[in-house]
Parts: sequence; structure tokens; C-alpha cells
Amino acid sequence: MNPVSAQIESRRRRYGNFLRRALFAAALGASTTSANAACPPAAADGTTITRGDVVLAWRVLLPDGALKSGRIPMARHFSLDVQLCDRGGVSGAQLAKADADMPAHKHGMNYRPTIKPLGNGRFRVDGMMFHMAGEWQLAFEVQAGKEITRLTHGVQAD
Amino acid sequence: MAFRRTEHHRGRRVLATLLFLLAPAAAAEPDRFSASELERIASHGPWPTAWMRDPGNRVSANPAAVHLGYRLFFEPRLSANGRVACATCHDPARGFQDGRATARGLTDGVRNTPGLFDVRQQRWFGWDGGHDNLWSASLRPILDQGEMGGSAGRTAHVLRGSAALACHYRQAFGKAPTAGDSDLLVNVAKAIASWQETLLSPPAPFDHFRDALERKDVAAAAAYPAAARRGLKIFLGRGQCATCHAGPNFTNGEFGDIGVPFFIKPAGVDPGRQGGIKRLLANPWNLLGAYNDDATGGNTTGTKFVRPEHRNFGEFKVPTLRNLTLTAPYMHNGSLATLRDVVRHYSDLDEDRLHADGERILRPLNLSEAENADLVAFLESLSPATPLPPPVVPAPVPACRAP
Ligand code: HEC
Ligand code: HEC
Repeated sequence: MNPVSAQIESRRRRYGNFLRRALFAAALGASTTSANAACPPAAADGTTITRGDVVLAWRVLLPDGALKSGRIPMARHFSLDVQLCDRGGVSGAQLAKADADMPAHKHGMNYRPTIKPLGNGRFRVDGMMFHMAGEWQLAFEVQAGKEITRLTHGVQAD
Repeated sequence: MAFRRTEHHRGRRVLATLLFLLAPAAAAEPDRFSASELERIASHGPWPTAWMRDPGNRVSANPAAVHLGYRLFFEPRLSANGRVACATCHDPARGFQDGRATARGLTDGVRNTPGLFDVRQQRWFGWDGGHDNLWSASLRPILDQGEMGGSAGRTAHVLRGSAALACHYRQAFGKAPTAGDSDLLVNVAKAIASWQETLLSPPAPFDHFRDALERKDVAAAAAYPAAARRGLKIFLGRGQCATCHAGPNFTNGEFGDIGVPFFIKPAGVDPGRQGGIKRLLANPWNLLGAYNDDATGGNTTGTKFVRPEHRNFGEFKVPTLRNLTLTAPYMHNGSLATLRDVVRHYSDLDEDRLHADGERILRPLNLSEAENADLVAFLESLSPATPLPPPVVPAPVPACRAP
């Protein structure tokens, strides 16, 4: 990246951070005035992982309904429903990345998922597929301002 | 639900013990399947799987299109020299392939002709997955200069030259076949696809064994040969074959590198999946294009999200392992003549041939000759035990029957 575009990029990011913080404040405000059911995550929100202040709940969405066991069916496309929370309730942070790899085989997915913010700390990740049976590791990046928190979680595909 | 699952498992364990007890003492150990093996055996069925029409092809399961597709599949006049039909390379008597290492149409090709049984189940078509749907994979050979060298004009001429073909085209698509119609070739390809969707292979000895285990029918399960049973154990265990050759069709539908050389004589390389993704995204007949008949777009996920990676270079599609006794030789370039050669390839695997950052699943298995034979016996049990009858000829639709 050349210096000029790097500068623009960093300005863009700072502006983005400002916006995000403003949204965050608004979200916090909302969560204090009306009790928000989204946070902390309930059992129905799936598996909860925590790192520092970040609380992330994820669950698998399959085109034809729910998971049969805790394991993810291999070689089928699925989506993720993700809820971000923090100590204050709904998090204003962004889900910046959602991906997965097979640490033992040193490769990732054959598909690049997309992330759609749904508001209220909720995100939908589309285009996931575990194309081989075995141990996979989900990898999330949560961005609040400049701060990026990485969260991982091991799952079994078969 | 959870209770039923447990019951099920317990049942399988009881069965495993029964099998163990019934087997002759010397052969008992390799015949015995653990609960987790039984669960994985079950995951390779049932067969056949439920058939679903292709939402991207509006004439999928349309009787006029199926009949038209059948006739055109065997029609050499679609080709530039009037001598090459789909069936020239996809011969019904050979599991819909040609028995050659690499295909020969108008000129010599560089890839092995795949069989077409159960082709409806594929997610990607071609060894490099350059197509995301069956009809665009069926349009490619018509236009390919090395295979059939056809054109819209030639195809329209063939259709209009036969009252029966023209009638079936009209019945399927609601208009007459005209050369100037940009839909003509796509329509023809959709008709040929709808016929290929009907090519289903019947249950093989493995399927009867798998179903017998499910039913806990010890007597029926005992009919499955001991050698195949031992081979199945290697397939599920040490071989880790099911990591890629998964599910009822014995493929995860994706791509891998197993160290088959990808050099093309006299010079050149076959880039495999890397080239396939480029072809896919450049293809006007992919599912993101205007010819996808699925208005919901529900069938576009694979194409929309596919991610090119460096490792795709030299990756090829994981093929089905069904009907292999009909489809020798093997691999994308037909370089292995027999199943014994394939098993030896995995057994003596040359790890230097795998990409440096390649998949760390495959290791030389160093199987004994007896174990090689067992694995071959298992692979053979995924093919029909008796010769298959010729494909059922789809009837002409009543509106097009000659008076
Ligand atoms: C010259 C021989 C030849 C002819 C003629 C031919 N094919 Fe093929 N076919 C092949 C080869 C070789 C491949 C593999 C191509 C690749 O990997 O890119 C193939 C692949 C396919 C596939 C993909 C199968 C899979 O499992 O991935 C389909 C479907 C198919 N052909 C249908 C047809 C139809 C329909 C016709 C006639 C319109 C036809 N073919 C004509 C040789 C031929
Ligand atoms: C890493 C994934 C992977 C694993 C594990 C794997 N295979 Fe394969 N298999 C492939 C791929 C990819 C091809 C096609 C390679 C090519 O054409 O270059 C293939 C090809 C084959 C073929 C040839 C089929 C045909 O129609 O040409 C057979 C048979 C086969 N494998 C059997 C096995 C057995 C038996 C094992 C276990 C010892 C095994 N495979 C393990 C990916 C795998």
C-alpha cells in the first residue's frame, strides 16, 4: 500500500472507529433502558466462547433444519448465527472475520464465508463448509475500535 | 431422540459381538467392527439416495426433455465430422466411459473420461470442477474443438431434420428449435442433462452388507466376503480413505492432491482445480449467470463462495468409488490401469510428489500383498455384482408419437 492510500485507509479506519463507538454507545443506551434479551447469550444461542471482555455465541444453521448431534455434517454448506456480547450487554464491536481450518492437515476451507451484520450484536456468516471429516477450528476476529480479539473453538465434522 | 440413538448404538454393539462370535476363530479379529466403525459404515448409505430434480434445470424430470436428451446423447451428427457422439466416449456398456487412459474425440485429449452413473449427485463437474451444474458440463463437449466441435447451427439443423426430435424439443421448451435462438444450445444441454440425471447405479454387495448391519440381520451380513470386510476395515481405519471418499457416493465432492503426476506429454502441466475455478468463474453458463432456472438462487452457494487457494494447483476432484470395476483405467489422466495399481499407489505413496504444503493426511500405508488384495476386494464390492442391463430407453411422449 503506498503512503497516501495508507493514510486514507487509516483515516477511514479512524472514522469507522468513531462511528462504531457512537453506535456502541447507542446500543449500550438501548440495553440499559429496555432490558435486552440477546445478552448474555442463552442456551438457544449455541456455544459460548469468551476471551477478555468479548463473549461470542455461535450456532450452526443448516438449510434443512437443526443439527442432529453436536457434530457438523461434513461436505455440506452451512451458516452461522453469531451473537456478540460484553460485560455491558450487547456488544458494539464488529465481527470482522469468521473462518475455519484443520490444524492437523494445515489447510482451511475451500469457501470464503461472508459476514452480514443483523444489528443488536448479531451477525450471520454464510458460505461455510467443512469438506473433510475430522477436527476443525473455528476462528473469529472481533474488532472494537483498534482492538482485535481472536477467538477460536475446536469442532468435529463428520 | 437421544435415547433412541443410544439404543441404536447398543444394538450395533450387540451385533458386532455377534459377528465376532460367529466368525471362525482365526479370521475373527479383522472381521470385528467397533461401534464407531459401524457408525461410519452406516454413513456410506443408504443406497440409492433420494433422487431430487435439479432446481437449476427447468426441464429436469420433464419426459419430453428426457427422451430428447437420450436421443441426442447418442447422436453423432452434433459433431463437426458427424462421427463423435457423447456415447462415443461415454459408452453405456462401460459404465458410461471409454476404457481409454485419455479421451479421443476429434483429437486426443489429456484427461480420462469419467463414468456418468449417479452424476446427478455431483456438486462440481469435470476433474477440475470447472462446471457447477450438469447442463453446462454437457454443453462443453458439444462446442469443444477437440471433442465434438459442434455449434448452435449444426444442432438446430439436426433437430429440424427429424420430426420426432423437433416435436420433443417443442414439447419441452414451448418453441421450435431455431439456430438464431441463443437459448438453443443451453436448452439442448438441459435436455441431455435431464436424461443423464436418470442414470443411477443399483445397490452393490457393500450396500447389502451395510443394510444388513442396520437391520441387525446377521445371516444376510454373513454373505459379505471376509476379504472385503478386512479391506473395509483398512479403508475406514489405517487408510483414512473415508476422510475424502465419504458418504453414500464415496466422495466429499471436493478436491485433493494424492500425488498423481500432473505433467502432460510432451510438455505442459494440468493445473487441476486452479484452472477449474478460473474456468468456472469465466463461464457464462455457471449458476450465477442468466441461465440458472432456480429463481431462489438457493443452488448458487458453492459458486458464490468458492475460494481460490495456491494449493488448488494440481488438485483434482475426489472421484466416486462406485462402479469402479466398469471404469478402468483410473485417475484424472488414466495413469493407473487397475485397482491393484491404485491401492499400490496409496500403499507406496511417494510423499515427495505431494505439495510441500499439501494435505498431511496421506502417508505411505506400507500394506502387505494380502492387505492390498483385501482393499481391492472391498473396492470391488462397491460395483454391481452382475453385469448391468442396458439403460432403460425413455419412451417418446404421446404428443410426438408417429400416427
Ligand atoms: C471425446 C470424448 C468425450 C465426448 C465426445 C464427450 N465427453 Fe463428456 N467427458 C469427457 C472427458 C475427458 C471428461 C472430463 C473433462 C474434464 O475433466 O475437464 C468428461 C466429462 C463429462 C462430464 C462431467 C462428469 C463428472 O463426473 O465430472 C459430463 C456430465 C459429461 N462429460 C457429459 C458429456 C455429454 C453430455 C457429452 C455429449 C454432449 C459428452 N460428455 C461428450 C470426454 C468426452
Ligand atoms: C486426501 C483425499 C483422499 C484420500 C485420503 C484418499 N483419496 Fe482416493 N482419490 C482422491 C483424489 C483427489 C483422487 C483423484 C486424483 C487424480 O485423479 O489425480 C482419488 C482417486 C482414487 C481412486 C481412483 C478412482 C477413479 O475413478 O479414477 C481410487 C480407487 C481411490 N482414490 C481409492 C482410495 C483409497 C482406497 C484410499 C485410502 C487408501 C483413498 N482413495 C484415499 C482423494 C483421496
